Amino acid sequence: MNIYIPHIILGVAFLLLGVGVYALLATRNLIKVIVALQIMVKGAMLALVLAGRETSQPGLGQTLALTVIVADTIVAVIGLTLAVQIRRRFGSLDVKDLTRLKR
Amino acid sequence: MSTPAILILLTLGLPWLGAVVVWAVGDRTEKISHTLAVIFAVLAAVAGLGLLLQTGPESVQLADLGGVFGPISFTPDGLGVFLAVVATFIGSLAVIFSVNYMHGEKQLSRYYAYMLFFIGAMVGLVLTSNMLLMFFFWEITALCSYALISFNSDDPKAVAGGVKALIMTQIGGIGLLLGALALYIYTGQMDFNVLLANPDVVHVKLLPVMAYGFLVAAAAKSAQFPFQTWLPDAMEAPTPISALIHAATMVNAGVYLLARFYPAFHEVPGWTLAVMLVGLVTALLAALMAAVANDLKRVLAYSTVSQLGYMVYAVGSGGIFASQFHLLSHSVFKALLFLAAGAVIHAVGTRNMRQMGGLGKQMPFTRVVFIIGALALAGIPVLNGFWSKELILEVGLKFAPWSYVLMVIGAGLTAFYTYRMVSMVFYGESHSHAHGDAGLAMKIALAPLALGALTTWLLAGPFAKLLSTETTLPYHGIEAASTFHILEEVISLPTLIALVVVVLGLLGWVFRSKLSGLGRALRGLGWAADNSFGFEAINRGIVRGISSAAEGLRVTQTGLLNWNVVGIVAGLLIVIAIIALGA
Repeated sequence: MNIYIPHIILGVAFLLLGVGVYALLATRNLIKVIVALQIMVKGAMLALVLAGRETSQPGLGQTLALTVIVADTIVAVIGLTLAVQIRRRFGSLDVKDLTRLKR
Repeated sequence: MSTPAILILLTLGLPWLGAVVVWAVGDRTEKISHTLAVIFAVLAAVAGLGLLLQTGPESVQLADLGGVFGPISFTPDGLGVFLAVVATFIGSLAVIFSVNYMHGEKQLSRYYAYMLFFIGAMVGLVLTSNMLLMFFFWEITALCSYALISFNSDDPKAVAGGVKALIMTQIGGIGLLLGALALYIYTGQMDFNVLLANPDVVHVKLLPVMAYGFLVAAAAKSAQFPFQTWLPDAMEAPTPISALIHAATMVNAGVYLLARFYPAFHEVPGWTLAVMLVGLVTALLAALMAAVANDLKRVLAYSTVSQLGYMVYAVGSGGIFASQFHLLSHSVFKALLFLAAGAVIHAVGTRNMRQMGGLGKQMPFTRVVFIIGALALAGIPVLNGFWSKELILEVGLKFAPWSYVLMVIGAGLTAFYTYRMVSMVFYGESHSHAHGDAGLAMKIALAPLALGALTTWLLAGPFAKLLSTETTLPYHGIEAASTFHILEEVISLPTLIALVVVVLGLLGWVFRSKLSGLGRALRGLGWAADNSFGFEAINRGIVRGISSAAEGLRVTQTGLLNWNVVGIVAGLLIVIAIIALGA
């Protein structure tokens, strides 16, 4: 059985995605939720670079990956800001305590 | 830009500009709000009248947004321009009337901004030839209607009425959107003149869906059976709003839609009959409800529904010209009646007709104009309501004689409730005190309308020319004819019969005490009419059903992040499965 490097990279991308989804499902800590989101996006980024290489447009894939990095950073920053504010206001980082919208 | 393009831009843009300006200036002083609103509304009316001289069948393209959306195009043809003139002209009168009526109210900028926003949207709705734009304008008018019905937002009844109107007219919007999408799928563009020229461009199986979808849309917007219940509840709005939106303009949009698309749909099996029946049933049911209501504005609302029924009936019978002619007459005399009723309500402080009575001596001017409007509504010669209503009855007689009989009975009922309303408000024993007659701004607004109710029928010839095939509307088959010719056609034996029935209706209220036996016999009918023939109960049932279903589904909303992620992942898996299966 021949194993090619692209296969491995794709496998890693899916693995990262799976880890992120599992963490999102399992954790209730807001910081961990944000970390899980980051892991998922890293998987997607890897897949983008790979897709660029496979379609022989490496520049395009890398450009898109860079764009994702920028957007992702903003998401992380805003998410963490919200987490800090929630910790200050509710005194907890558990998402279970944030169910006020439900009556 | 060509002259029509500039005029269209002005007629549509001035009210919207006015809305922004009034809103931006805010509630500094009452006077600024009044003045700005009146200036912009009157300027728009002038632009609208100017447009009347620039009609033509060619579309005017203001901007091309390309692709799916299509160009922003307007067609200044007879049908559209006529309704745009009605919207801006009666709109400006309603704004002028508001100067007195809304005197001392808070948040006038919100009131005038929505009112001007509405006028602009209505102009856009009737002038555009882009289906998608038409849908947008359609929804904007619904939004403004909602906001203005609920203007007194601390009154729960006003809020409920607004929400009801919004939801019911929303049902119609869906039909319109589907029609726009179907048109785009089959022709690759949004211009509906393509469809009017050749209905076959749309697949033969889809055309009926569109036709009946548009009928539902029109029925919802024009408060036709079975959606007639929202209009009476919309009467919580300030009275100038009722006159403008819920009598003279927005509720006509449904009739306009049917008339506009008649050339495309009239060969769909059963469509014309369905339209005619909707109009017929509405006209009769609403007339009965008007005959038992005791709230002055509700009587007028039911009578609006009933008269709109006449117009829809005329479209179904193939009388596009008759329906539009009645639309013109009705806009004038119903706006007049509503505004005069507003003057009465403003002076007395109640809407209950049982608490009025004998107001004629205290409000002589209002009495005169109200009676002019009432006579036009009842269809007494030679006012405008007489000519247009008889024209509709004659079209109906040619199309289906049995329906003519029912519609004539409806005309008799109209005369009955009109006379009842006038006598309860202005004659008989006085139960209340009015502080003075209508104010100056009110009189300025009422006088042109009263004059119009007396004279617009003289415009029958020019009006027919405006809508005729050779000038602006190539697909509707309306022939230009002289005023004399049209009026001569109205005078015939069936007209006399209708007139006799109308007079019988009037006498019915005069001799009501002698007819008490008949009254007792019809008590069941009156009770049913008082309870809106069970439609309110159906509405309440639907609302209850939906709220309890929503309460039941609350369980699915845990509010927990992890469960939401489960939902997202499940949705993702389903999408992947669909892609993998190659569907």
